[in-house]
Amino acid sequence: MSRSLISAGSIIKTFENLKVLNGTNFSLLEGEFVAVTGKSGVGKSTLLGVLGALDPTFEGELLINGVNAVEASSSELAELRREFLGFIFQDFHLLPNLNALDNVLLPAVFSGTDTEAVKDDAATIISRLGLRNDSTPTRFLSRGERQRVASARALVNNPRVLMADEPTASLDEESEENLFDLLDTLRKERGFAIVAVLHSKRILSRADRVLELREGVLHEKHA
Amino acid sequence: MKNMRKAISLWNRGHWKDYVFSQGMLLIASLLLVFFISIGLGVGNILQRFLSSDLPEEQVRITPMGVQAGFFQTERGGTEITESTMDSLAAMPQVERIDPQVYAHVPAYLRGLLGGQNYYTDITLEGVSSAFVPDSMLQYIDWNYTLADSSMKPLPIILSENLLILYNAGFAESNGLMGLTPEGVIGLEVRVNVGSSSIASLQSPPINIRAEIVGTSRNMALFALAVPIEFVEEVNALYLPDDRHTYSALMVTASEAEDVPEIVRYAEEMGLSAETRRGIAQKAEILVGVVTAALGALAAAILFSAVASAIHTLVADLKNRSYALGVLVALGTRRERLVYIFAFQIFFMSLFSTVFGGLLGCGLSYIVSSTLLNLLPVLKMAVSSLAVYPVGWLSAGLGLVLVISTVSAWFFFRKILATPVTELLRR
Repeated sequence: MSRSLISAGSIIKTFENLKVLNGTNFSLLEGEFVAVTGKSGVGKSTLLGVLGALDPTFEGELLINGVNAVEASSSELAELRREFLGFIFQDFHLLPNLNALDNVLLPAVFSGTDTEAVKDDAATIISRLGLRNDSTPTRFLSRGERQRVASARALVNNPRVLMADEPTASLDEESEENLFDLLDTLRKERGFAIVAVLHSKRILSRADRVLELREGVLHEKHA
Repeated sequence: MKNMRKAISLWNRGHWKDYVFSQGMLLIASLLLVFFISIGLGVGNILQRFLSSDLPEEQVRITPMGVQAGFFQTERGGTEITESTMDSLAAMPQVERIDPQVYAHVPAYLRGLLGGQNYYTDITLEGVSSAFVPDSMLQYIDWNYTLADSSMKPLPIILSENLLILYNAGFAESNGLMGLTPEGVIGLEVRVNVGSSSIASLQSPPINIRAEIVGTSRNMALFALAVPIEFVEEVNALYLPDDRHTYSALMVTASEAEDVPEIVRYAEEMGLSAETRRGIAQKAEILVGVVTAALGALAAAILFSAVASAIHTLVADLKNRSYALGVLVALGTRRERLVYIFAFQIFFMSLFSTVFGGLLGCGLSYIVSSTLLNLLPVLKMAVSSLAVYPVGWLSAGLGLVLVISTVSAWFFFRKILATPVTELLRR
């Protein structure tokens, strides 16, 4: 039986007087690929922020890798984000003056882990994503290239869960397919789970489950 | 800490120039701090040197108000010191003895061969009793002299040390001569001319007398020569027989130092001016205090504005990059580690700026000191350097700059990192 990686119950998230998440539940099993859809502004990124231990200001229950995220300290949440989760942000969140490899190595460098140990893995992922491993700062890269650098950074710490917020928004169809081909391959190799906010129907068809966020609550669309 | 250098290098890539201004301000703050401390203390030393007195603690120098030294007096008026004034003071139980001083109201000059060059200066003769002369000196000199002795022995004279400074700074400097020290002038023979000077002469013919320098003193007016009091009284009577006999000063010796304030109070009640060692020291302290406070306030104002600018720039830079901080936190870097890394960076950058600025400040004060001493030789004779380098004070000052900048940056950095990461990522 697959282990539960993330389990959320009755999550309520309010911005001023607006309830964006209104008592929603969520669960993610080991190796699972769950897609989240919904209209723009419905709160998909907010949901990912809560599930990804980025936003601790919510009501409800949340277990990430067995850790009670509601009671965890900021250091414990940071450790979860660093060791257990990988993020592909909608706006990439790269440091523009650094090249692709340095951006990918950023979490390892700042957390004080051995960068030599992950350097080869980072170079391999960069290469498999079709990126040049050179000194060009990422501010000079196209949106698609930056998207792939962000993907590589999310994967390099070998996470158990990949959180992706519209990872294919900047990609053409071919790059979109290539990215998810690689993610599928890596998922099989490494066994991580994916929670992704997606719109592309072709990619949605690859998901194990598709959830639609409506009126602050997740609804199962199809298996 | 592991990867510290790499982390700092990645964080600052493309941003080093953002630190140039803030670190430049810190450097200037340190430079000015060291400069003002160094020069300020040097100026204090000079003032102390010029204002110091060897007046004994139990002595009071009583003079008429508003009357300046001897022939050069510019104002007379108020209470004069007469025999009855002296008797009145002598009646006080606290007074042990009184030694009167008389200025010659007659123009005079001194001429001598100093360092192989003819030296000339107008002077004022200040008649003092043997009490003015230190006991150690009295063993070797005879402090009795009248005009009748002029053919047999030289007139004993005591030079003002300030006159020596003036000689060294002016005459000796311009003629390339060696400077004179108080010890070096003792025994020198000169000529004293009484009855005329470069600016005045009397109808009676002047008298030219052989004189010998027997000592130096700080308790004299700049151009005064202390000579035996009988000689000055004789000269005044000879050239100005109609002048009323008054004293220019009284050196009053109290039975004990504690009695000095009572004598001062009594003299001031009589409308006279009383000067004591403590009073001179207090005046010197006040003057030095005012100068030091003014320089300190100026340094503090510059330091405050420079440190404030530096901190403002550092904080502005941190605020501008709060998004990047959000990225690092989102990727799982602990906030405490980020605070540690950046406080470390700010500390070392500030350390470099303050130490380098401090060294430049030392260099600048040295250059200013050398330049001023070359331009104003009178200073050169008083002190060997105008710049003082008290390592403890300078280190404390620079340490303060360092602590203020690092702690401020650390404080604001913590404040930024207390912001929720989702908000940081939206900036």
